Amino acid sequence: MAADLFYGLLPEHFLLALLVVLMFIEIIGRGGRAAGILFTIVMISGCAVLLNQLGQNYSAMIVADEIVIDHFALVARLVVFACGIVYGVSCLGNNEKPKFWILLTSSLLGASIVFVSSGFISLFLGIELLSLPAFALIVHRAGNTNATEAALKYLLLSAVASAMILFGISMTYGNVGTLVIRDFAGSLSSDNLLSVVAAILILCGFFLKAAVFPFHGWAPDAYSGARLQVTTMLSSIVKGAVVLALVRVFGASPLNDHLVGMVAIFGIASILYGNLSAMSQTQFKRLLAYSSIAHAGYMVFALVDNTGHRTEDVLYYVAIYALTTIVACSCFAILDPGDNDDLDALNGAFAKRPLPAVLMALSLLSLAGIPPLPGFLGKLMIFKSVIASGYQWPAVLAFAGSFVGVTFYLGMVARIFKPQTEQAVAGNLTRSSWVLGGTLLGVFLLVLLAVFPGLVFI
Amino acid sequence: MSEIMNVELLIALPFIGAFLVAFLPATGSRLLSLLVTLATLSVAGNIFATFDGTNSADFTLNIPWMNDLGVNLHLAVDGLNLYLLLLTTLIFAVVLVCSWTTAACRRPLFLTLLLFLEAGLVGTFLSQNLILFFIFWEAVLIPMFIMILVFGGAKSKSAAFTFFLYTLAGSVLLLAAIILLGVVSWQQTGVWSFEYNDILNLQLNWEMQLFVFTAIVLACAIKCPLFPLHSWLPLAYSESPAAGTAIMAGALSKMGAFALIKLAVPLCPQVAVFAAPWLLVWAVISILYGAIMALRQTDIKLLVAYSSLSHMGYIVLGVFSFYETALHGALFQTFSHGLAVGGLFLLLGLLEQRLGDDYKNVTALSTAAPRFAVLLLLFILTSIALPLTSGFTGEFMILLGAFQKAFALWQGQAGATSLVAVLFACSGIVLGAGYMLRFARKILYGKSRQEMILPDLGLRETLVFVPLLFLILWVGIAPAGYMAKVQPAVTFVAERVDSTPASIDLSLATVLHGDANGR
Repeated sequence: MAADLFYGLLPEHFLLALLVVLMFIEIIGRGGRAAGILFTIVMISGCAVLLNQLGQNYSAMIVADEIVIDHFALVARLVVFACGIVYGVSCLGNNEKPKFWILLTSSLLGASIVFVSSGFISLFLGIELLSLPAFALIVHRAGNTNATEAALKYLLLSAVASAMILFGISMTYGNVGTLVIRDFAGSLSSDNLLSVVAAILILCGFFLKAAVFPFHGWAPDAYSGARLQVTTMLSSIVKGAVVLALVRVFGASPLNDHLVGMVAIFGIASILYGNLSAMSQTQFKRLLAYSSIAHAGYMVFALVDNTGHRTEDVLYYVAIYALTTIVACSCFAILDPGDNDDLDALNGAFAKRPLPAVLMALSLLSLAGIPPLPGFLGKLMIFKSVIASGYQWPAVLAFAGSFVGVTFYLGMVARIFKPQTEQAVAGNLTRSSWVLGGTLLGVFLLVLLAVFPGLVFI
Repeated sequence: MSEIMNVELLIALPFIGAFLVAFLPATGSRLLSLLVTLATLSVAGNIFATFDGTNSADFTLNIPWMNDLGVNLHLAVDGLNLYLLLLTTLIFAVVLVCSWTTAACRRPLFLTLLLFLEAGLVGTFLSQNLILFFIFWEAVLIPMFIMILVFGGAKSKSAAFTFFLYTLAGSVLLLAAIILLGVVSWQQTGVWSFEYNDILNLQLNWEMQLFVFTAIVLACAIKCPLFPLHSWLPLAYSESPAAGTAIMAGALSKMGAFALIKLAVPLCPQVAVFAAPWLLVWAVISILYGAIMALRQTDIKLLVAYSSLSHMGYIVLGVFSFYETALHGALFQTFSHGLAVGGLFLLLGLLEQRLGDDYKNVTALSTAAPRFAVLLLLFILTSIALPLTSGFTGEFMILLGAFQKAFALWQGQAGATSLVAVLFACSGIVLGAGYMLRFARKILYGKSRQEMILPDLGLRETLVFVPLLFLILWVGIAPAGYMAKVQPAVTFVAERVDSTPASIDLSLATVLHGDANGR
C-alpha cells in the first residue's frame, strides 16, 4: 500500500517537490530560467514514470473509492505531461518569472489529481486546483486592463460552474448515498429524476469550464485578454484536462436518452457556433477562442457514443487537439514577433520564415480535420463511434459544422502563402529558437500519435 | 519478385523525395525531383510490363495500422488502377520537364508540392482500404490548393478556395458513406473493417446502398467534374499554373472516374443498375454541355477545360453501361484523355511561357513554329478521337457498350430515354471535332503577325511529348495487349453488376487481388 502510494502517485510527488523548489527560487528572487528547466525536467521524468507504469500495465487502488490508478489515469496524465513538456520547452526562451512556473505546475497538479480520482471530493479539489492558477496566469504580467477584466470574468463564471458541480454532487449524494463516481455513473442509466438533474448540473458546470456553447461567453474575452503563452495553455492543457475530467465522470457507462439529447444538442451547437463565429475574426487569440469552442463541441459530442469507445476517442482527440494547438500557437508566436495578435502577421509568412509557416499551416489544416493530418484521425474516431451508435443525423450536422470550419482555417493558410509584400522583420531569435524547438517536439509527438494510434487505444 | 517492383516505392519515392527537396539546398532540387519522378515512372513502367491481370498478389503491400478499426496500409495493383499508375507517373515526369525553365520550377516549394501531389495521387489509386483511400483522396487537395494559391494567376485565391471547398463538400459525403460501411461491417461481422475486400462481402440493404451510392457519385461528379457540379473547373483550370492544370485535368480528374469504377459500381450493384439509365442521361447532358460551352469559348485554355469536361462525361457513360466493352472503353478513355488533355495543357503552358498573356491571340503557329504546330495537332486529333489514336479506341468502345446497354433497356421496355441519350452522345464526337478543329485552325493557321516572336520547341520540349504520343498511338493501334491485363478486373466489375450480392462468392471478390484460383 505504501509502495503504491509512493510509486503510483510518483508524478504527483514530482510536481509537489517541484512546487516546493520553485517557491524557494521565488523567495531567492531570481533564476526564472532555472525554474523553466526544472519544470521541463520534471515533466520529462513524469512522462518516463508513466510510460514505465503503462509498460507494466500498472493499476492500484490507493485510497479506497477516492484515488485510483487505472489505464485512463495513466494515459490521461501522460497526455497532459507530454503537453507540459512541449509547452515548457516552448516557454523556456520567454524569460518567465518563477511565479509563472509555480502557477503552471499547480494547474498541472490539479489536472493529474482529477485523472486519478474515483470519488467526487478529490475530483472537485483537482478541478479547482486546475482552474484557480489560470486566473492568476491571465493577469500575471499581462500589463493591461483587459486582462484583469478577462480574469475576473473567468473567475466569476468558473465559480458559478463550481457551484453547479457541487450542487450536482450533493444531489448525487442524496440520491445514491456515496460520493463515488462509479455509483453516480451507475445511477445514470435509470430514469430517476434526481440523478438526471444531478447529471445535468454537473454537465453544465463542466460545459461552462470547457466553454461549450451556450456557456462559452467568457472564453473569447479571457483568451484575448491574456498573453499568447497563457492563451495557449488555457486552450490546450486546461481545456483538455476539463474535458478529460468530464470523461472521468461520464465515461464509465452510456448516458440515458435525456442526457444524450442534451449532450448532442450542445455539442453540435458548439461546433456550429464556434466555427461560424470564427470566420469573422481578425485577431488570432479571439479566433483561437472560437475554434476551441468548436473543438470542445467535438469532444463532448463523443459522449453520446454507446459502443464503449468514448474514453479512448476523447483521449485521442484531446491529445491531438492539445498538441496541435500548442504547435499552432507557438508558430504564431514566432511569426508575430511584435505580439500584435493580428492575423495580418501571417501575411506572406512563408516567404519570411518557411519552416514555422509550413508547420503553422499544417497544424491549422489539422485542426480543420483535413486528412492525412492527425486532426482528421481524431475526428474520424469520434464520428465512427457516433455513427455506430446510431446517431446519423447529429453526425451529419457535425460534419456540416466542420465543413464550415474549414473555411476560416483555409483563410489563414491562404494568408501564410501570400506573396511577400513588406520587408522581413527579424524576430527575437533566442526566443524563437526555443519556441521552434518546442514546436518540433510537438510535431514529432503528433506524428507519433498519427502513425501509432495504438499508443492511446489499447 | 525483384526489388524494383515493390509497389510501396510508387508512393515512398515521391514522398521521401518531397522531404528531401524541401530540406536540401535549392541548387540541385530540380534535378533531384526529376530523378525521383523518373525513378517512380520506371517502377510504374516495370509494374505495367509485368502485371498480367492475375498476379496482383505480387504487387501488394499490407501493413496493419489501426488494427482495432480494420484500417490497414493496404496497397495493391489491380486491373482498375493499372493504366492510371502509368498515366500519373508519366504525367508528372512530363510536367516537370515541361516547366523546367519556369521561375516556379526553381523554387523548392513548387517541386515539393509536385512530389506530394504525385504521392497522394498514386496512393489514391493503389489503396485497397477505404479509409486509406479517403486519406489519400483528400491529401491531394492540400498541395493542389497551395499550388494554385502561390503559383496561380491574378484570381488564384478565389480559384484555390473554390476548388478546395467544392471538392471538400463532396468528400465529406464520401467520408460519411465510408464510415457507414465500416459500421455495417461491424454490425454484420462484429469486427470493424474498412478493407475493400471485406466491404465487398457485406450484405447492404437497399437504403444503405442508395446512400452510399449517392454519396460516392456526388463526390466523383464534383471531382470529374460533371455538369452542373463543374463550376469550380473553369476558374481552377484557367488560374492555376500550366503544370497544375495539366495535373488537374490529366490525373486529378481521373480520381473521380476511378472511384466510380472502383467503389460506386461494385459496392452498390443493385442501386447502380437501378440508377444507370439516369446516370447515362446525366453523363450525356454533361458531354453535350461541355461541348457546347467549348464551342462558345474564345479563350483557348477555357476551351480545352470545357472539352475536358465533355470527355469526362464519356467515362461516366462507359462506366454505367456495365458492358465489358464499355468498361474497357472507360478505362481506355481515362488513360487516353489524361495523355491528350495533359499534353494540350502543357503545350498551351509552353505557349504562355513564350508569349505571356498574348498567347490567347496566337495565330499561324504552323509557320512560326512548325514543331509546336505538329505536336499540338496530334494531341487535338487524339482529343477528337481520330481512328488509330487512343481517343478513338476509348470513345468507340464506350459508345458501342452504351448503345448495347441502351438498346437492351429499350427492348426490355424500360423506355427509350437512354437510347436517345446515347444517340445524342454520338453527336458529342461531332461537336468535339467542331470546336477542336476550329481551335486548331485559329491558332495553327491564319494571318501571321510580324511582331510576334515565337521560338519553336527545343529538343527537350519536343522529346518530352514523345512518350505521350507513343502511348496514344500504341493504344490506338494495338489495344489488345492492354485489354488483356485489365480483363479480370473488368469482368469482375461487370459480373458484380450482373449478379445479386447474395450470389457473389468469395473467389469472385478476390479475383481482383489475384488469389491462386483467380481467372
